[in-house]
Amino acid sequence: MNTNLKISNVTKIYPGCVANDNVSLEFNSGKIYALLGENGAGKSTLVKILSGVIIPDEGEIYLNKNNLKLNSPLDAKKNDIGMVFQHFNLFETLSVFENLIIDSDEQRESLREKIDSIMKKYNFSIDLDIPVLNLSAGQKQKVEIIRCLIRNPKVLIMDEPTSVLTEQETSELFLSLKKFSEEGILIIYITHKLKEVMQLCDEVAVMRRGKLVSVSEIKNENIESLANKMVGQNLKTIKKKKAKTSSDQLIKITNLNFTSEDPFETNLMDINFSVNRGECLGIAGISGNGQSELFQVLSGEIISDKNCIEFNNNYIGDLDPQERREYLMAFSPEDRLEQAAIPQMKIFENVALNNFKSSNFFNNGLINENKIKEHSKKIISDFNVNTDNIELKSQFLSGGNLQKLIIGRELITSPDLLICFNPTWGLDVGAINYIHETLIKINEQNKSIILISTDTDELLKLSDKISVIHKGKLSKIMNAEEVTSEKLGILMGGVN
Amino acid sequence: MIKIVKRDQPSRAIFFFTPVLAIFLTLVAGGLIFFILGFKPFEALKFFFIVPIADKYGFSELLLKATPLCLIAIGLSFCFKSNNWNIGAEGQLTFGAIVSGGVALLFYEQEGFYILPIVILAGAIGGMLYASIPAILKTYFNTNEILVSLMLVYVSKLILDYLVVGPWSNPEGFNFPETRQFSDSAKLPLLFEGLRIHAGIFLALAAVIVSWFVFYKTYLGFQMKVSGFSLKTAKYAGYKGKKMIILVFLISGACAGLAGVGEITGPIGQLHREISPDYGFTAIIVAFLGRLHPVGIIFASLVVAITYLGAETAQIFMQIPKYTGQVFQGMILFFLLASDYLLFFKIKFIGSKK
Repeated sequence: MNTNLKISNVTKIYPGCVANDNVSLEFNSGKIYALLGENGAGKSTLVKILSGVIIPDEGEIYLNKNNLKLNSPLDAKKNDIGMVFQHFNLFETLSVFENLIIDSDEQRESLREKIDSIMKKYNFSIDLDIPVLNLSAGQKQKVEIIRCLIRNPKVLIMDEPTSVLTEQETSELFLSLKKFSEEGILIIYITHKLKEVMQLCDEVAVMRRGKLVSVSEIKNENIESLANKMVGQNLKTIKKKKAKTSSDQLIKITNLNFTSEDPFETNLMDINFSVNRGECLGIAGISGNGQSELFQVLSGEIISDKNCIEFNNNYIGDLDPQERREYLMAFSPEDRLEQAAIPQMKIFENVALNNFKSSNFFNNGLINENKIKEHSKKIISDFNVNTDNIELKSQFLSGGNLQKLIIGRELITSPDLLICFNPTWGLDVGAINYIHETLIKINEQNKSIILISTDTDELLKLSDKISVIHKGKLSKIMNAEEVTSEKLGILMGGVN
Repeated sequence: MIKIVKRDQPSRAIFFFTPVLAIFLTLVAGGLIFFILGFKPFEALKFFFIVPIADKYGFSELLLKATPLCLIAIGLSFCFKSNNWNIGAEGQLTFGAIVSGGVALLFYEQEGFYILPIVILAGAIGGMLYASIPAILKTYFNTNEILVSLMLVYVSKLILDYLVVGPWSNPEGFNFPETRQFSDSAKLPLLFEGLRIHAGIFLALAAVIVSWFVFYKTYLGFQMKVSGFSLKTAKYAGYKGKKMIILVFLISGACAGLAGVGEITGPIGQLHREISPDYGFTAIIVAFLGRLHPVGIIFASLVVAITYLGAETAQIFMQIPKYTGQVFQGMILFFLLASDYLLFFKIKFIGSKK
């Protein structure tokens, strides 16, 4: 049976922002649709409207010509619309089976049979009786998908499903989605990853600032054309020049171990690497494999043995972050809002977080506000932060502008080494480009970078050498040109 | 129809308005309680909040009670601002009083200008010593400072009990649980003849000014602010977390200790079992009611001090227990916490659709 889903003139307005501006779209089963857009383009709002989480201010939704009134997620389920969210909604301590039957009133036995047949059909192998916390991210996602399939959905919406998956898991997911589509389920795939759209989808709808900007067939598009539609400007393609091979070693990590008292943290085991001047070392991996711990050990938030870290011929393993800054290291942590900056504080106050002696931000224990403000103005203009008011609270900066401020704050000391962790996480394409250009510039000035990132494309674009972290261990360090994303995917999955 | 909407950002105006709202709601609820108990609400509230401070004597009593509250709350705000939960100020007050009282007794029947400064200093040191225990346990053994500081309150009260009944009890005191009276040189001077308000108020005012300067003008204040928002950021910035924990506890202990000195060398003049009607605990309410801002704390300490006086007047004129004062203090905190909801949410009235 053919399924037709029609969104007609949907508008949703939030205070100060139009999330969906008169959006009309039509989907037919048998095809996989991509809904593409930057963060904040309005795609999440639209799918939340489709799944009953948000009620639109205006507009109608029709499924096979029936006007749907979706006032709650339950209404969506009843109308055969299934949704798999980016963040899993599973009870970690309950078994897989319990998680699957939790919102169903069918008989346990008949459900079990149904689940078994679904798993057989799509080649899923998951033990139904172990607790969910023992599953990998890919398996958890399959549990979420099965939970939708139990209800024989007509529509399946996937919200950025690959952000937690390895390359292998991603290609498995794509196979399953294609199979679902062949069986007549209408698939709507939300993402901002262009490559995936090209690989998987048949049609693509692009959104920008709440408006639908284009609907087209994939065969008429390519990555550049889609990127331009998303951003609404012609992007410069950034290419990194091959770094001059320098043998001047800047930082060397030897036999570094870290054992955490917290069971939710990852222990680091026998980490060894070195970075030369002008080089960018990329560290790939799926999040939660020790990246955060590695960053903290490198920044000095976690102190290690003095001799484990040699920087510029000094042993600095036992120094705290502020002391390391004096040796010309700089750090940009992953969490912009809870660690790298304090949103409730003003821009210039956030600048004062990177306090190094020659800045004179604080003299004899007193705040030297003029100095900090002068410095902040320089950062704002040098790093293109889109505001001219340094008294503004940082929470009013967009993610991209906040990250520019943070990177600018760290770079204004012209450090020899910048260590950054997911520097473009959650940013829009324009801001990502700016950050990438900045990082390339650093390398060109013969300064070094350690880039810990979960974004493989970013690593391949910026790194000279790449290593993969898996369960607290680093793989051997490879030259970037020998590496492909497939090879990284295998290493990230833990196969050696 | 009423709809609750999340605010885009916490409102600054509401931030200072909610304490006022909390006080208003406390009055309404208090009036209701009086009504249920069979009193005329307005008359009862008048006895509670207006009669006690209607004359010169009453006003001096108000300042007398507000002084320790203000001093302790200022100290506590150093801790609370930087994410350290010292709730044992009552213990630090008691221990400060014990040390300064011991020193004052050493100078029994001696006179000299040098005695009072030594006694005051001893109280501050006593409070600092006592506050250093939860601080050191927290920094080096990862204990929870809330539990440790709270439990140490009872330890210090038992030490005081032992001392005033045992070794330090007044030999001519007919076995009353109290020490000898301190000499005049060990007492804080009274400000006005016939009123009990004493020079301790200047200690509180000095603390207000110094704390304002530290909070808003110094590197230490900046570090406290950062730590208060996010300990992760403080660590990333490279602030010496342990040093700061110990420092804020010492400051807070010193203030509580000084409040203890103010009580025993002021209105009391000796050590006995009940040197503080839980000023150390009530000051926690004062600190939050004053929004951890030095000026706010001045006003908050005056408001809360009235509940002490009102309870006494109400006991005399209306024969209701003076613990009603604590009921009012509890209500203020309760309504303050409840109305903090308005910081993050606003209430919208929407005309119903026909």
